[in-house]
Amino acid sequence: MKEILELNLPQNVLYTKDHEWMDTTGNTMRIGINDYAQDQLGEIVYVELPQIGACLNKGDVFGTVESVKAVSEVFMPVSGEVIQVNTDLENAPELVSSSPYEKGWMIEIKASNPDEVKTMMDREAYLKFLEGIK
Amino acid sequence: MTATLNPWYFVTLPIMDYEKVKDLQNQVVSGKVAGTLGAEVVIWVEHHPVITIGHHGGKENLMVSEDYLQEQKIPVIAAERGGNITYHGPGQLIAYPVVNLQRQGLSVTEYVRLLEQVMIMTCHEFSVQASRNPVNPGIFIGNRKLGSVGIAIRHGVSFHGFALNIDIALEPFQWIHPCGLRDIKITSLQKETSSPLNLKMIQRSAQQHFCALFGIEPVQVELSELEKML
Repeated sequence: MKEILELNLPQNVLYTKDHEWMDTTGNTMRIGINDYAQDQLGEIVYVELPQIGACLNKGDVFGTVESVKAVSEVFMPVSGEVIQVNTDLENAPELVSSSPYEKGWMIEIKASNPDEVKTMMDREAYLKFLEGIK
Repeated sequence: MTATLNPWYFVTLPIMDYEKVKDLQNQVVSGKVAGTLGAEVVIWVEHHPVITIGHHGGKENLMVSEDYLQEQKIPVIAAERGGNITYHGPGQLIAYPVVNLQRQGLSVTEYVRLLEQVMIMTCHEFSVQASRNPVNPGIFIGNRKLGSVGIAIRHGVSFHGFALNIDIALEPFQWIHPCGLRDIKITSLQKETSSPLNLKMIQRSAQQHFCALFGIEPVQVELSELEKML
């Protein structure tokens, strides 16, 4: 397991308590699991993603990530409609581990209530949160 | 391992249907996620005969028709845990620890290894030398599988757990490719030793090893007490 200081936690995304990240800089918002989450899970063997067009609320399960013998649920950081899913993960689920913020992104959404973004943490706040649970 | 201030409750259920215990686990997870239940909870149980299919597999590993299983009164149920297809029945000791992994400072891989270690040490106590397999999780004697692990994680809380074959009937395992593995046979502790075994005795041993490995003191509670906390 990585130490907190070893974690790759980019400045340009926001984080949730369940260790998802979301990139809010574009017109749509890209979501995945962060370096802490993938490090906890170990080797990822399967990723299950929602249908394009699915409308989900903040906190709903949008997919699962299966590592060896363990299924983890992944949650919507904010409410919105799924407009894209990363189909590369079907055949290469390990991208979630090797490239969590780039090739291993999971879904793109159009947020239905952009105010909910305010409930997410920036890198500094997330680091503090992590120190609290470690 | 990290000791916590929250108690660890151990509950022994009578033999019970898979779905009922699944509902109970879900209630415990909800209580823990909501913060109304601080304790970690370990459920010991045996199930009535049932075949469960893991998150991404696989009816393709069912070797007999579902009609045949219906005649045998064995339901086939989708499970939310990791792993593939398996059979549960009387004579199999199951532990469902509902544990906040984050609070225990455990990664998923460390936790799975600890569950395997509980089974390995329990088997050693009964003079059966089981070990891990470098490729497949669970515990083995050569290519004979003795115990399985499958967990699910919701908001950092792990549920489901491990299943150790004590004197379970092995025939139903021939109706499936257990865990999707085709070159693995299933065995039981009773098949591997000539000493007479008793499931309750093995459960006591497993609980002692569990507590030693996790560095905790067990608190026994009754199901009715647990239900009041939910």
